[in-house]
Amino acid sequence: MDDLGIAIARLGAAIVTRDRDVAQLVRDRYKGFVSSGTPEWRLEIDVGPVGGRRAHDDVRVSRDGVDARYVVNRGDFAGTVDLPARRATVTLADANEYSIDSFLRILYSLALVAAHGVIVHAASLVRNGRAHLFCGPSGSGKTTVARLSPDATLLSDELSIVRISEGRARCHGTPFWGELARAGDDRAARLAGIYFLHHGARHALDGVMPRQAIERLLPNVLFFARDAELMAGVLDIAADLVEAVPCFDLSFRRDAGFWEIVDRA
Amino acid sequence: MPEQYPARSSRVAWRVYDGEAVILLAEDSTLNTLNAVGTLIWEGADGKTPVSSLVGRICAEFDVEPVQAERDVTAFVDKLSQRGLLNVSASPHEQR
Repeated sequence: MDDLGIAIARLGAAIVTRDRDVAQLVRDRYKGFVSSGTPEWRLEIDVGPVGGRRAHDDVRVSRDGVDARYVVNRGDFAGTVDLPARRATVTLADANEYSIDSFLRILYSLALVAAHGVIVHAASLVRNGRAHLFCGPSGSGKTTVARLSPDATLLSDELSIVRISEGRARCHGTPFWGELARAGDDRAARLAGIYFLHHGARHALDGVMPRQAIERLLPNVLFFARDAELMAGVLDIAADLVEAVPCFDLSFRRDAGFWEIVDRA
Repeated sequence: MPEQYPARSSRVAWRVYDGEAVILLAEDSTLNTLNAVGTLIWEGADGKTPVSSLVGRICAEFDVEPVQAERDVTAFVDKLSQRGLLNVSASPHEQR
């Protein structure tokens, strides 16, 4: 039985598996996030038949009848997440990193709510000691922003984690990558600004009030559980976030000049 | 017209910011935002308050005639009901 400790956004998980291929994939994929601390979570990964659903089915997350325990199914895996017990199990149809990574994203999206955190479809970068979060759907320019910022520390080009405590938001690096195919650094910095990306002919920054910022932010929050209670938690976190951090619409063209206006904001 | 009692669905998460409600429907994560008038109706939709009382509140708060207000509130309640945000009953009941 292999047991590897990782921590993403300071939330530790012991990943336990009997499958050697899975163990090796986990070691390789999350090597930048290895942790020797006491893990809050335990994730058991197995390989075997998952049954029932087709390979390309969307992920389905639903309560299994017990409070705060969820069944997580997709064509290539079947698992459970027990929030109070902080335990998760997953059976993979085969040992591959995409299935492992997908389940881990779902697990963290659920587990972070209690830690007052969310996963956001956003690139995040640390520059001059401050983190900046660039939100948007696919094609909005997240990876472009990351590529145009060689002097900044990459936290993620695709899925960033923000945790908020006592009115202060911190952005954390994640191993969840996009087109860049590179994990972010395992570090965190105070979040200085949230920028909603738009392609434009020039660089321009417009402030967004909290009410409008919530409308822009929520569609970018990664969340799978169709559960009113958890959604209320996500809504609270999003509300605290846009109150604590200045939000902007960022129109940018494909060059690094956008940093001039971001740094001035 | 018989009285109606709208109640917020238990399948939504909602908060009011700057006097305007932001509502998330659990089934599909649909985001709905309401203006000040809609928010007043939404906050009053507790399953115990009839539409006629909501109309009264609208008329007290905003410059609108009762007939027009009743038409607007009824249409609004109907629209939110179709979206799965409100449940409408013919009698009052305690909201869970």
